[in-house]
Amino acid sequence: MNEYQLIKDMKYEYNADIGLDYSSPCRGVWNIVHYGTLVPEGHQIYVCPTSCLRGVVLTTAEMGFDAMKKLSTIAVGEDNILDGDMEEEVLHGTEKIIDALPQRPRMVMIFTSCIHHFMAVNYQRVYKILRREYPDIDFIDCYMDPIMRRKKEPMPNLRKQILRVLQPADHLPDHVSFVGNCFPMTKYCDLYQHLVRSGISISDLTTMQNYDEFHEMEKSCINFTFNRKAELAGRDLKLRLGQKWMIMRSSFVYDEIDADMKAASEALGIAAPPQEETRALRAEAEEKAQALRQKLNGTPLSIDYTAIEQPLGFAIYLLEHGFNVESVLIDVITESEDVFRKLQAIRPDLKVYSSLGWNMRQADRHHDGKIVAVGQKSAYFNDTPYFVNLVENAGMYGYRGLSHLLDLIAQAADTPQDLPTLVQHKGWGCSCS
Amino acid sequence: MKDWHVHVFTSTYAADVTGACSAMFELGGMSILHDPDGCNSTYTTHDEPRWYDSQSLMFCSGLDELTAVLGDDNVLIDDVTQASRDLHPRFIMLCGSSIPHIIAFDYKGVAHLIEQRTGVPVIPVPTNGLDLYTRGVGLALREWIRRFADPSEEKVPGSVNLLGVTPIDFSNRDNVAALRKTFTDAGLTVNGCFAMEDSFDNLAHAYRASVNVCVSSAGLLPAKMMRAKAGTPYVIGLPVGPYMAEQVMQAVRASEKDGRNRNAFGRDTVQQEDILVIGEQVYAQSMADGINHTAFAGENGMHAGALWPDIEEGIDEDGLIARMNHAKIAVCDPLYRNVLRNPDTRLIPLPHEGYSGRIFRKDMPVFASDRFDLEKFLREA
Repeated sequence: MNEYQLIKDMKYEYNADIGLDYSSPCRGVWNIVHYGTLVPEGHQIYVCPTSCLRGVVLTTAEMGFDAMKKLSTIAVGEDNILDGDMEEEVLHGTEKIIDALPQRPRMVMIFTSCIHHFMAVNYQRVYKILRREYPDIDFIDCYMDPIMRRKKEPMPNLRKQILRVLQPADHLPDHVSFVGNCFPMTKYCDLYQHLVRSGISISDLTTMQNYDEFHEMEKSCINFTFNRKAELAGRDLKLRLGQKWMIMRSSFVYDEIDADMKAASEALGIAAPPQEETRALRAEAEEKAQALRQKLNGTPLSIDYTAIEQPLGFAIYLLEHGFNVESVLIDVITESEDVFRKLQAIRPDLKVYSSLGWNMRQADRHHDGKIVAVGQKSAYFNDTPYFVNLVENAGMYGYRGLSHLLDLIAQAADTPQDLPTLVQHKGWGCSCS
Repeated sequence: MKDWHVHVFTSTYAADVTGACSAMFELGGMSILHDPDGCNSTYTTHDEPRWYDSQSLMFCSGLDELTAVLGDDNVLIDDVTQASRDLHPRFIMLCGSSIPHIIAFDYKGVAHLIEQRTGVPVIPVPTNGLDLYTRGVGLALREWIRRFADPSEEKVPGSVNLLGVTPIDFSNRDNVAALRKTFTDAGLTVNGCFAMEDSFDNLAHAYRASVNVCVSSAGLLPAKMMRAKAGTPYVIGLPVGPYMAEQVMQAVRASEKDGRNRNAFGRDTVQQEDILVIGEQVYAQSMADGINHTAFAGENGMHAGALWPDIEEGIDEDGLIARMNHAKIAVCDPLYRNVLRNPDTRLIPLPHEGYSGRIFRKDMPVFASDRFDLEKFLREA
């Protein structure tokens, strides 16, 4: 490949979403359909032109026939545009769907699309009528409107909207929520381990079995978010329900991990993790990093943003531990300017690729010699079967998350995988229950 | 209440934007889909089996709210111009989805401006993201032929164009070779296959064909244009099995002789069929007619009929459920299984990329051939 910039030549304001977009075959990142299926006893209705519906319906169909039972569609036609009956179509279509479903959903998520904004559709009026007609169902206005992405990206917006049914309630001092994750934060999450051990109960959409559990989130005294796409939801709950919101940075800086864990503990009035445990976890991570460095023995690494929430921060961590980080793949810089400047200083010749640029379509994907990739896009653009196949941190946080990630890199370096099959699978790790 | 817009249980057919990009994929151009985002990944993920292994150029314009509200077409013009200078496509195809449609985006005018700047031919294909893929394929092929083929070329007797061939209907590529062989075995020459496994330079001689064969309904738009421009007659039909192959070849010879257009399949007249074939209009009707001439249908006293998606409305789900569950056999994409309510209705799977995308792609049979054994297909499925 030669379609890269060196980080020393880049501006912090870098954003690749500024022109023609190339869509790489890597499809592991979750879309709004995947996230919507997390809602237990929920049903999604998409109201869009055929060209938009196609993607969401087949995303669902690829999860199996059971998943298809959790999604319906209302196609926008030329007649709706000419007749101006968009509101009536949404209303009557939703009524028909609810009445035809074999099981009554507890939540109905209605996704309107770009065209509804441009036709000035008054969908709130429709939802008002539906709420009156079906008082036992929570209706949520959701949006599949990429034309509005400069103001609100669809994924963060959905993570917020789903929680809009939550109502003010008494907050329990021993109950918290993990908000806006795609994956359970359990085994490889320091905060989960610490809270459970301290007698704190946790609500997390990714592990819920029924809709009543969902409403338990109203009782949380603190909502924790672990990624950027969840922050809109955390902020909204804070403003609407008065719940405290804490950001747990997906950091690879030990002192930042300790500081966030300490702050979380103080906010809950529980003891911080014991120092000896923290020292042991740190030591374990250090040992794993050193072992991996020796194992890779200079083999280059490539990191992409679809796998790691803080790809630049992780690059710094690896470089400071003696690894050969050759490239990162990002479409926009989401980390702080300090992190960016530090990486510029540490490795000025670091190659930075975008996955969206038109030149990437005909990029030479060949890499001279072995390279290990962290993330699907890094793997695809380096055409390497040695890669860590995951998205959005995959439930990892803190020292346990870091140690597990280092383990995964070690496994990836040993075991070639079927790159075309794995990266083209839509919604890594998503299944419909 | 009957309403074609509402699909409680069923999927959605591929849209016109997919069809346009699919039709142009192998011709060395650069397809631009004027759209915010999303339609391009839907196409490349679900409807384009050639995406991973090729470097064919297809991009989305990344239209955003401000650009659309201000009608700032210069954003698109500048981006396409720059990409064209970097990538050197042989031509550019410009299509779009619903937002360009409702803001009355001027495809022809913008195509002209890009062409002036780049010197690269630009063909405008005014899709709207609302219609069926067959319309997109047809529009793109029609505009490509209009731009690059010469209507004054002399016709070669006994030669045909196969119009409307894309992976959306023929995702098992062996179908394309089988289709060609069926025609050549019948003594005809395949002048061009629009547009799979053929070349820009060869297809530019489209008008050499003495007859156009619309092997899918996507072929109708270019066929009608070529009829108007050069008097080339067209035949509608797909050689699904030996009977339909013979019907198609007879129709081609007759049309070459008298210059008239023909349907190779018989018109369905029954209201309630025993065997329901669901799929693209031409292959569904061709297969139904083929089935009606099998011993299987005769022995069991069954009659086959076809159901296909309308260009604007797709398939009405209520009507589909009623017909499918009335039939004894449904020949259709396996994804229709979730509306099968009648335990006595047997589903014979016939995967269709245009409906279920890539899910059942590997199970698609080679059906576009005189050698396709419909008897065996019906008895052993």
